Amino acid sequence: MSSSEKQTLLSIARLHKSFDEVEVLHDVSLDVGKGEVVVVIGPSGCGKSTLLRSINGLETINSGAIFLNGEDIASGVTPWNKVRQKIGMVFQSYDLFPHMNVMENILLGPVKAQGRDRKEARRQAESLLERVGLLERQDAFPRQLSGGQKQRVAIVRSLCMNPEIMLFDEVTASLDPEMVREVLDVMLELARQGMTMIIVTHEMSFARAVADRVLFMDGGRIVEAAPPEDFFNCPRSERARKFLNTFTFEATRKERRTVE
Amino acid sequence: MPDSGISILFEGRNLIRLAQGLWVTAYIAFVSVALSTLLGVLVGLAMSSRFTALRAVMRLYLDAIRIVPVLVLLFLAYFGLGKVFHVNLNAELASILVFTLWGAAEMGDIVRGAVTSLPRHQRESGLSIGLTEGQVYRYVIIPQAVRRLLPGAINLATRMIKTTSLVMLIGVVEVLKVGQQIIEYASLISNPTASFWVYAFILFLYFAICYPISRYAAYLEQKWQS
Amino acid sequence: MTVFNSVKKTILAAAFGTLAAGLALSSSASAAGFSTVDQIKERGTVRIGVFSDKPPFGFVDANGKNQGYDVYFAKRVAKDLLGDESKVQFVLVEAASRVEFLESNKVDIILANFTVTKERAEKVDFALPYMKVALGVVSPASAPITKVEELKGKKLIVNKGTTAELYFARNYPDVKLLKYDQNTEAFNALRDKRGAALAHDNTLLFAWARENKGFVTGIASLGDLDAIAPAVAKGNDSLKAWLNEEIVALGKEKFFHADFEATLKPVYGDSVDPESVVVEGGVITK
Repeated sequence: MSSSEKQTLLSIARLHKSFDEVEVLHDVSLDVGKGEVVVVIGPSGCGKSTLLRSINGLETINSGAIFLNGEDIASGVTPWNKVRQKIGMVFQSYDLFPHMNVMENILLGPVKAQGRDRKEARRQAESLLERVGLLERQDAFPRQLSGGQKQRVAIVRSLCMNPEIMLFDEVTASLDPEMVREVLDVMLELARQGMTMIIVTHEMSFARAVADRVLFMDGGRIVEAAPPEDFFNCPRSERARKFLNTFTFEATRKERRTVE
Repeated sequence: MPDSGISILFEGRNLIRLAQGLWVTAYIAFVSVALSTLLGVLVGLAMSSRFTALRAVMRLYLDAIRIVPVLVLLFLAYFGLGKVFHVNLNAELASILVFTLWGAAEMGDIVRGAVTSLPRHQRESGLSIGLTEGQVYRYVIIPQAVRRLLPGAINLATRMIKTTSLVMLIGVVEVLKVGQQIIEYASLISNPTASFWVYAFILFLYFAICYPISRYAAYLEQKWQS
Repeated sequence: MTVFNSVKKTILAAAFGTLAAGLALSSSASAAGFSTVDQIKERGTVRIGVFSDKPPFGFVDANGKNQGYDVYFAKRVAKDLLGDESKVQFVLVEAASRVEFLESNKVDIILANFTVTKERAEKVDFALPYMKVALGVVSPASAPITKVEELKGKKLIVNKGTTAELYFARNYPDVKLLKYDQNTEAFNALRDKRGAALAHDNTLLFAWARENKGFVTGIASLGDLDAIAPAVAKGNDSLKAWLNEEIVALGKEKFFHADFEATLKPVYGDSVDPESVVVEGGVITK
């Protein structure tokens, strides 16, 4: 559902990032339009996690610029905590706060960071929890939830901040297979509602279904960028082809299983 | 025969004196524990800081406190300061000073252990929902750290209570010293089994202080679980 | 989070409360390291270090009042120096720290059965004596020690910081010493048979052996006859002179004999002759 005239929400220009001597991001540039879903794939160590963490300020960049809605966010003019309220991030290791129940986890950001009225925030939290099917678990503590439930709560927690863009860093990688689907369904629904998202994932069929654009990264660079049908059916670069091969084998197997 | 000895507890103002001694013990111990907790948090944060120099200084402080016997510190604080610097602390204050120095070091180490045992993602998780570093500490890190350090802190508190008897050597009349005064006086008036009863009573008094603390700790752990 | 807030408030309150109380309670420092007679008179109280657990010389009775041979004298000092017996602040000391209390100006006078020795005289100033003492050794009546030689290879209990400890360490190094910080601990150890005998001032042992059946002062007098005198901080000449004059004056009314009658006779009974203990007017007659 790409609109003919895209409004750029996030603009990354010539990002460089090194850890000590090792360069992890090299000259990375990217524009993400409002409502666009960008999926980033690539071998481990290619820098996709670092890219997301740089957008969120959890990693400092060596050079380059990041603009959110035209505002320069990486130069330190605006304090990061304010910026992060507009950027939702969900991690692989959920990291709900174990000493608070589900509702308290969700309300912490809106009430303490954004200074919103508790009742109003609560209403939004309840409606979000309902949409992901977890309203009746609002008083449960994280240790009483399954991995899939925790991850869905983590997504709701970020959504309750009313972010403009959501970043997902391999959020299903730690989950048991039977729970992966419930989380991906939530993300699909979000995409359908027009949330701007950057998703790092290994779930290829999911990527095909949800992405407006696929980015393939390797060695700290964006090697290829294309719409999913183009990318998955005929990848242009040799490296992308090699990478996809590892999944294609599995994908075929999966298809046979679903037929049976 | 032990029955005749127990009467010593009820003679004159002995019970009141023991209670007063207990008050002194409890006062020194609890004030020291409170101050140690306050300072210990700061020390603990310093011990887990990014600055190597600060961590090294804190390490030195902790090791010094652990190596030097508490009694030596008491003597230094009470007599030493008086002799060398003409700073005259009264014995109770010297005791609190020493116990707080000791407690802050130990508590700092406990805090450091609790804070560093938290997964680092907790901090990032908090930052990602737009909390400032300070808010992350206040709502995410410290509440969890407090739950983790509770066992060690309670253990430290009871250890400090038991060690307060050392302060009698710089002239503080705490409960054990009162007990000895009573026992010696009793030996003067032909009551040789008095020592058993007095010590038994003091044992009961120490238990009376320490037990509620560990019960309260267990209650807190229970509460935080649910 | 309310738990956190109330805990935080309590801690802060305790911290400031203690600091304030401490500043109010701590006494001011004397530039010279001790208080002269005039300064004591101006202050209105004299601080005297005494024992609280060594009857019959310094102990605390069931009503919490300081009593004993040393304390009786201390009260008289307060009366004659400041006009009222109650103007004395008793500081409870341990044997091992008597010198420390004077050197750090925590007390003005030590009246804690302090034996005069050369080493101690280097650190503090002694006034005229008011008591004489020798060492004694107490042991179970069932296995009495009557000669020092019988202690060879056995454990002897002593109280840290006393002349008994020093005497045996110096003169009989092959006697194993079992040292305790407190009198009570030392005597308890003897009762528990942790040592074959206990060495201390004979005047203390006479009293103890009388009250504790089954023990006898097998060696009644060991070593030299020593003097027990008040001690003041080194260089505190005004106070030392005052004490000397006081002791000589008290000799005229046989004060220390009265002291013996009041505090020691009830404990010793007739078993001990006052002349072997009391020193009148600061003059020791053998």
